[in-house]
Amino acid sequence: MRAALFSIVPYERPSRPRGWPVPADDYSAEVAQASMERALDSFAVADQLGFDWISVAEHHYAPGSLTPNPMVMAAAAIQRVKRAKIALLGSNIPIQNPVRVAEEFAMLDTLSGGRVIAGMLRGTSNEYVTYGVNPAESRERFIEALRLIVAAWTEPQPFGWMGRYYDYRTISIWPRPVQTPHPEIFMSISSPEMAEFAAAHRISAGLAVTTVPRARESVEVYRAAARQHGWDPPPEQVLYRAAVHVAGSDAEAWADCAPFATPDRPVGALSMANPAIDEAVAGAGYYGRDTAQQRERIMAAGDLRERIDTGQILAGSPDTVLQQASAIRRELGAGVLELAFIGPTPDKRRRSLELFGTQVLPRMREL
Amino acid sequence: MSFVEHTVTADGFDIRYVAAGDGPPLVCLHGAGGLRLSRAHELLARTHRVIAFEAPGFGESPANERSASLRELAATMLAGVDALGVGDTFDLCGTSFGAKLALWLAIDAPDRLGALVLASPAAIRLPGTRPPEDPAEMMAILYQHPERVPPSAPPSPEVVAKQLTLVERLIGPARDEELETAMRTLTVPTLVMFGTEDRLTPPELGRHYPELLPHAHLVLIYDAAHALDVDRPEAFAALVADFLEQRGQFVVRRTSGLLYP
Repeated sequence: MRAALFSIVPYERPSRPRGWPVPADDYSAEVAQASMERALDSFAVADQLGFDWISVAEHHYAPGSLTPNPMVMAAAAIQRVKRAKIALLGSNIPIQNPVRVAEEFAMLDTLSGGRVIAGMLRGTSNEYVTYGVNPAESRERFIEALRLIVAAWTEPQPFGWMGRYYDYRTISIWPRPVQTPHPEIFMSISSPEMAEFAAAHRISAGLAVTTVPRARESVEVYRAAARQHGWDPPPEQVLYRAAVHVAGSDAEAWADCAPFATPDRPVGALSMANPAIDEAVAGAGYYGRDTAQQRERIMAAGDLRERIDTGQILAGSPDTVLQQASAIRRELGAGVLELAFIGPTPDKRRRSLELFGTQVLPRMREL
Repeated sequence: MSFVEHTVTADGFDIRYVAAGDGPPLVCLHGAGGLRLSRAHELLARTHRVIAFEAPGFGESPANERSASLRELAATMLAGVDALGVGDTFDLCGTSFGAKLALWLAIDAPDRLGALVLASPAAIRLPGTRPPEDPAEMMAILYQHPERVPPSAPPSPEVVAKQLTLVERLIGPARDEELETAMRTLTVPTLVMFGTEDRLTPPELGRHYPELLPHAHLVLIYDAAHALDVDRPEAFAALVADFLEQRGQFVVRRTSGLLYP
């Protein structure tokens, strides 16, 4: 089993919840600089510890994440991460210019010598407000943008694209991706529509902002659809994202985690930061044919015990966390575990990262 | 815009055609399945005089055992155009088999064309590619959106067999050296369109055309199979109309992005 260090690159100063979008009236450039520096440093440490990937994501207008353009953060990370793959999970392609996304991924693949993992996501509900894209069209835009990005990477002659949502008269990107035919694509398979699309196009599967029981249902849809299309996804094409904290003992780890697992913090905290927006986006049909289940998914909460039991959080001693990783491997057939390190202080998070890298990661290889 | 049916006599054939619209002439040459109109033709007839020919040997016309080659049939079609008196130059749009026919016409009468449009051209094919004989499979190959196909009676088995015999006799090899050599000399502005879901002439074949035609512009029509004009009529007509008006400068956007003056 492979491990990825995921950082949303949070603004590292405690703040009370302020909805979404979050005003910048008490913004500190120094805090933001230190936060970015700490994230880059953790990527370098993870690389040295043997993590397979480091990964970043796209979110807007809130201190929860300082990487509205994950491409920029990835380019910085490439300067420090010499061996691990650089994953973007993702670019929120329905709200972006897909040709620009294709160009940026190709630049990153060139800068990194072919180490880019190209995650493509639809983003959380609030992202649709950011650039004024109608969430009702999110899924169709996603599918078309993905197809266009692949064409931009692979077509050797200049070509135009007469789409439903995109109309380009001539495209011929430089640089080109290093990986052939193109970087591996991951996409979310949380909704059945997207699980079926990913399976039909042999695209790798990502499961985030979810629980293991719900993820298992999604994986079953994905695998069943893949079988219909004549293939069986290998473990390395199934990724599961969770929070993690490793300490010397279970008791210490659980005490450290308690503040992150209060019942009022849903797993999809960003989606739910502005409930009126999420309501409107849901009403536009963003969540698809099983809206109720999708919204239950992002609202999953519970106390620490429940969160550990459902795989939202891995927490404990190295032995315990290894067992939790093993359960995810077994339950989902997931071959990539993408981990966001939580913990009360930077020192505790660093210690947790090192414990994971030295005492869990080597044994995860055999899972 | 309703199309009106006519017949013109040229090169010893009685050639059926349908026409609608005013404006610059756009001559259309159909694919191996014969003459068929789509909503795209109606949209184009708003800005052009659209003239869609039925090549001799297709539809209800007598079997064509006289045209010895596609090149010869192209000369017949040009004679048909001239019999209509459309003027010194006209624009030409060929679909699939008709695109290869259109290429021969362009090669032999390069000064007559203002612009050339090739839709799902079958001038270069994958080796061994043949249209399926099963009608259901044929529908699946032609259309990504069968719900958009206008209702019409299917051609009789006799017509299908007659057309197939003619197409197989004339279509030529999957890679036609004589044609490809001649294509390199063409200077007419050419729009080449392929559907992203086309399994008969898959979009990967598109890249050959800019290699062979120095003035070609390749455009992929998203979510369309082989019958581009049926699957995406609005996109097809908008793109073709823009290209016919602007030629190679169609890459420059003319529509305004201004939201609120």
